Amino acid sequence: MNDPLGLVNHILNKSFVDGPGNRAVIFMQGCNFRCLYCHNPYTIQYCNACGLCVETCPQHALTLGKDKIFWNEDICLECDECIRTCPSSSSPRTHSYTPEALWEQISHIGPFITGVSVSGGEPSLQVAFLAQFFQLVKENSTLTTLIETNGFAGPQAYTAMLPWLDMAMLDLKCSHPRKHEKLTGQPLDSVLESMRFFAAQGKLQQVQQVIVPGFTDSVEDMQRTAKLLAGVDPEIRLRLLRFRPHGANGPSAEWQSPTDEHMDTLVETARGCGLKEVERSL
Amino acid sequence: MEKRRLPEPFMEFEDLRQGLTAEMVTPFKQHVSDLLHAHDLIYEQKRDALAAAAVGSLPYPPISAAARELLQSGVLCVLGEGAAPYHPRYVAPDYARILHEGSPFLELKPAQTLFDATTSLLTAYKYFPAGGLPVFIGRLDELLEPYIDTVSPETARQVLKSFWLLVDRLNPSGFVHADLGPAASKTGALLLDVDRELGTITNLTLRYDPQHTPQEFALQAISNALGVTKPYFLNHPAMAADWGEDYVIASCYNALPLKGGIYTLVRLNLKRAAEMADDDPERFLDETLPEIGKNWTEVIASRARYIIEDVRWFEDNFWIEEGLLDKHKFSAYAGVFGLAEAVNHFTRTDAHPEASYGHDKAANRLAERITTRIHEVLEDNPVASCEGTDGKACYHAQVGITSDLDTTPATRVPSGEEPELYEHILTEAPTHKWINGGISTILEFDQTAAQNPAAVLDIIQGAFKAGIRNLSIGSANSEFVRVTGYLIRRADLEAHKAEKALRYSSAALGSGVMENHPNHLHRIPRKV
Repeated sequence: MNDPLGLVNHILNKSFVDGPGNRAVIFMQGCNFRCLYCHNPYTIQYCNACGLCVETCPQHALTLGKDKIFWNEDICLECDECIRTCPSSSSPRTHSYTPEALWEQISHIGPFITGVSVSGGEPSLQVAFLAQFFQLVKENSTLTTLIETNGFAGPQAYTAMLPWLDMAMLDLKCSHPRKHEKLTGQPLDSVLESMRFFAAQGKLQQVQQVIVPGFTDSVEDMQRTAKLLAGVDPEIRLRLLRFRPHGANGPSAEWQSPTDEHMDTLVETARGCGLKEVERSL
Repeated sequence: MEKRRLPEPFMEFEDLRQGLTAEMVTPFKQHVSDLLHAHDLIYEQKRDALAAAAVGSLPYPPISAAARELLQSGVLCVLGEGAAPYHPRYVAPDYARILHEGSPFLELKPAQTLFDATTSLLTAYKYFPAGGLPVFIGRLDELLEPYIDTVSPETARQVLKSFWLLVDRLNPSGFVHADLGPAASKTGALLLDVDRELGTITNLTLRYDPQHTPQEFALQAISNALGVTKPYFLNHPAMAADWGEDYVIASCYNALPLKGGIYTLVRLNLKRAAEMADDDPERFLDETLPEIGKNWTEVIASRARYIIEDVRWFEDNFWIEEGLLDKHKFSAYAGVFGLAEAVNHFTRTDAHPEASYGHDKAANRLAERITTRIHEVLEDNPVASCEGTDGKACYHAQVGITSDLDTTPATRVPSGEEPELYEHILTEAPTHKWINGGISTILEFDQTAAQNPAAVLDIIQGAFKAGIRNLSIGSANSEFVRVTGYLIRRADLEAHKAEKALRYSSAALGSGVMENHPNHLHRIPRKV
């Protein structure tokens, strides 16, 4: 058997904010962006089994194997000392799944959810696994499938999963090329290609953007973003997410959260640029 | 022989066999005097309490010594219904008949317009023949939809708003209950709209059927529930499978046949019952419950008989004569509460303190066995007067009263101890299976839910698939709190603490429950 394995950081069995209805959300390990404000940097790097965290775990919940760290979930207190110890800020607390094993886990909560969303990290780094997983979901249930992606992988990365994918939620970190690269460490071009690709397929469920001081929070920033989206399709749904310093690391932990009034201004700005459906988080 | 004091909510001077005795005249007079002088009761509340005191001076309908012992020890409880029940506890009149044919007794003509219809309903509520409060005010969308287009849309909303305001102001209680659905209608949508605007505590149930309730109507109801903690979401297909289409929800969440009634609600304290079986759950199931079952149904039968044969309630009663109620559709509730404590009594040990209801598979399985066993016990002990439910007492999950100190309402997991959301639902769902006379599970969500009511609908549908019959949906930060089965406003809790008189009689009850069970204000909100 050559089923690809998926490396999963964690699974939420209910979420009201990751697509339509109530959804299970699978957070994949690994990311190709290095966002300055990343709220879950432990999902970026892969564990290389260096073993440093094994020594510092106060619960002795970690064991060093030949080429991986074994994690005893039952005694783990999730104190995150392992993540703090890791030179890469990675996490040894991940699970590898075959597509079947992941579906088996999700199928138990099927009656309570509308669908499954995969997020991360960046799920497009594990497209072969996801294509098989989504196929299982669609062949065995009426659940919908959604990928929450930064789009950087480009359209070709998503083609294998496309028959089994209902929706994509694209995180447009910033619509200004230079600022995008500064914010994420990666260029913008392929992100926009992916967005146009999903839109052309009729599968772009939503574009979302975190309103970050200095990058996406000015009226000019929002006008640029909204005009870009409206140029693709005025029906594109844009959701603005308020940056919150809580959970952010490094200098971004000192950044200010936009006010309600400013978030409302940006919503109105986006609407004024021709987008029909714009909303914001609380 | 030493005089044994009856447990609350019996009044101090009550005596099951003799009624008021010479040595109890002084406490009786004191009780009456206290009521007259109370500053936290308005006139109507004093009058009702005085009437209850008068009834309390009579002996209880004759029952066996064993049944009396269970009442005296608090294993069984008649919930302050009083010694001599002179009316049924709940009734569900056929208001449609009043609207279509009028009422000779009430001097009402058939309704022609929305004005007529709402006026006739308010009139009928005034004469509600059970306990002074109209605990069922109709399947209002069905009742009023034929009249909704007799006036302009603007006027229709104004009329319904005035009607809904008067329902609350004239019948101030969280036990007054209206039903909506399963179909959508102009009236249903308007009533949800004005209910949201007015923020009253009149109870409301949406009979939800995924096949017949349009999603838009369901989402409107969910948005309301996240704001004002109502309507309840009732699993209509599951209820209709037991009751047929002609059933209603009254009072807290109580099911009964349309045109029927419930003579009495006699409840069983499962915690106290479990303690009678020491530490042996098999003995509890095989011996204690069947033994109690005989006395439980005996008490129910004695009280129903008093209403039917002693006060002859069905005779010279316009509700019967005009075909608004039907004796053959009457029954009585056998209610249970404290399931969590009963289960934990058997499963929790010093070595396994975590082996409790909601958190342990064996405990959850025992809960299911207990609720199933009680169903069998009720089947084995017919009550002839319960014609509306095939001659058996109707199985009900009772929500508790102010004087309950160490028990959890109905079959619920204790507030504040709820497991993860799906686990919570899957724990309580099996206990809903046999309890078709009313039961509910309470779910509270954080504020995020209001942005995605469709997600709440997913959970409701999942819960119904799991076997849940009825859900109370709310927000953790709402002004409206589901006490047990009815609603209370946080502002009324504060007023009651300050010993101020309250318009809502149920608010005083609710405040007492909250003082004894502060965790009801701290249910685990579901972060989403």
